[in-house]
Amino acid sequence: MTTRDCAGLTTREINVIVRELAATGETELCLRNPEARHNLLVGLFAHLRVRLEGSAGYFCAGMIDGPEVVIDGNVGWSVAENMMSGRVTVAGNAGSSTGATIRGGTLIVHGNAGARTGIAMKGGTIVVGGNTGYMTGFMMQRGDMIICGDAGEALGDSMYTGRIFVGGKIAELGNDAVIEPLTDDDQAFLSVTLQKAGLDNGRDFKKVVSGRRLWNFSKKEMGLWIQAL
Amino acid sequence: MCGLAGLLYKQERGEGALGAPILTMLDVLGSRGVDGTGVALYGPASRDRMVARVRLGGSDDRRAQADRVVQRAAAIGRVASADVQDDYLRLEMSSNRDAAELAAAIEGPDLGVLVFSLGQRMEIVKQVGPARMLRERYGLDCFRGTHGIGHTRLATESRVDVAHCHPFWARPFPDIAVVHNGQLTNYHKMRRRFEMRGVRFYTENDSEFIAIYLAHKLAAGVSLEDAMKDSLEELDGTFTYLVSTPEGIGLARDAFATKPMVIAETDQWVALASEEVALRRAIREPFDTEEPSARTIRVWRHPGVAAALTPVGAGV
Repeated sequence: MTTRDCAGLTTREINVIVRELAATGETELCLRNPEARHNLLVGLFAHLRVRLEGSAGYFCAGMIDGPEVVIDGNVGWSVAENMMSGRVTVAGNAGSSTGATIRGGTLIVHGNAGARTGIAMKGGTIVVGGNTGYMTGFMMQRGDMIICGDAGEALGDSMYTGRIFVGGKIAELGNDAVIEPLTDDDQAFLSVTLQKAGLDNGRDFKKVVSGRRLWNFSKKEMGLWIQAL
Repeated sequence: MCGLAGLLYKQERGEGALGAPILTMLDVLGSRGVDGTGVALYGPASRDRMVARVRLGGSDDRRAQADRVVQRAAAIGRVASADVQDDYLRLEMSSNRDAAELAAAIEGPDLGVLVFSLGQRMEIVKQVGPARMLRERYGLDCFRGTHGIGHTRLATESRVDVAHCHPFWARPFPDIAVVHNGQLTNYHKMRRRFEMRGVRFYTENDSEFIAIYLAHKLAAGVSLEDAMKDSLEELDGTFTYLVSTPEGIGLARDAFATKPMVIAETDQWVALASEEVALRRAIREPFDTEEPSARTIRVWRHPGVAAALTPVGAGV
C-alpha cells in the first residue's frame, strides 16, 4: 500500500498522483490530510482502493467507474455524483445532493446525508445509516436507497421507479410517492445490503415506490398535476 | 454563490483570535466569488464608548475628510481616538445621542463618507475585492474578540461597490449585522412595506433588508430565535444567512436548503462556513462537522458579554 500526504498540494496535483499510481498497477492507496478539498478522485476509472484520512469537500469521487473509495471523515455536497460503478464509503456525514444521478455502484454514508440525496439516481444503491434531508430521491429513475434513520420532507417526489426503504420516520411523502408492503425479495435485499455495509438491520423498514400516476398525463387528473408542478 | 463564515468563543471571558481565522476562511471561500469581502467583529465591551467604522471616499484627500468627520463628531460627543487606515476612519467616542443621530452627524454633508458600523463592540470592515486585500490593508489579523461573521461576495442582484458588500449593519440598531448567501424574491415588496412605515434603506442589496428586518423584530422585544423563525415564513427565495448581535451568532437556512453551510462545534468554540475546506484551513485542530438541514434555526450565545451590556438608544 502506498501513502501520500496531500498537505501543500493542489487538487489537480493530488488527482494526477492517484492516476499515475493507478497506472503503475498500485492497488491500495492512502491519502493523508485531504483537508476537505473539493473534486478529489473525480473521474477515476482504475480499479484500486483509495482511503482518504480525513474529510473531503464537494464532488468527491464524482463520475468514478470502478474504484473503491473510503472517506474517514465527512464529505461536502455531491459525493459520488454520477458514479457508474464502484463503492464509496463515508464514515461521517455527507452534505446535499449525496449520490446525485448515480448510474451504478454502491454509496454508503454511515452518518446523515443532506437535502436531495439520490436526486435523479438512475441505478446503483445508496445506503444512509442516519437521516436524510429535504427532497431525497426527487425524480429518482431507478436503483435502491436505504435510509436507516428518518427521511425529510418530500421523500421520493415524482420518482419514476426504484425503491426507497426507510427505517425511521418519514416527515412527508413527495408527490406520487406511495408506501407499499415489502416482499420477500425486498427483505432479502435489505438484509444482505445492510450486512455488507456494516449497518444494523434491526428496524422495521417501510418501502416507498412511485404511485405511477405521474407517468402519463391525463386531463382527468389535472389537480394532481397542478399540485405536482 | 457567496461564502459565509462565522466564529464564536463559548467560554466566559473567552476572547480569542477573530480576524485571522475568519479572514483565512474567507480567503478559501474566495472560490465562491470575490466581488467583495467583509467582516463584522465583536471586540471588548465598554459601557460608555461607541466605536464607528467610517468609510472615507470620493475625490477628497482622506486626511482632510477624516478631520471634518472628527470635528463633526466632537461637536456632539467626546472623541477618544480617531485612526485613519487606508479608506477607513476608526472612531471611538462617547455621546448621549442615539446611534441614528450619531451616524447621521458623522456622515454630515460629505457625499463619500459612509458609516458602515456603529456600536459598543461591533466593527465592520469591507472592501471590493478578495480577502487578501482586506487583510493587508487593515491589519485585521490581530483583531481579538468574542465572535464575528464574514462574507465573500458573488454579486448577483445589486451593483459591485463597497456599500453593497456584506456584512450589512442593521442601521440604526447598534451592534447588529447580517451576511447572506442567496436571493430574496420578495425583497422589493417587503422593502416597500417597511419604507411606508418610514424605515430608511441605504443600499439596493436584498441582504440589507434581512438585517433591518431582524433588528426591527429584536427592538420590538422578539427573541432572536423567534425573529429568525418568522423570517423563514416571511422572506421568500433562497437563503442561508448569519446574523450577529452583541450576544452571539444566529444561523438560518430556508426550506429548500440550496445554499450551503457547515457547522463545526466543540466545547470551546463554534465555527461556521459555507464549505468545510474553509474550516479545515483556518482551524488546525481536530473537530467534527455537520450540515444543518432545511429550515434550521440555530443561535449560539457568548455567555460572558450579553448581560454586561445595556442597549444603546436606537431611535428610528
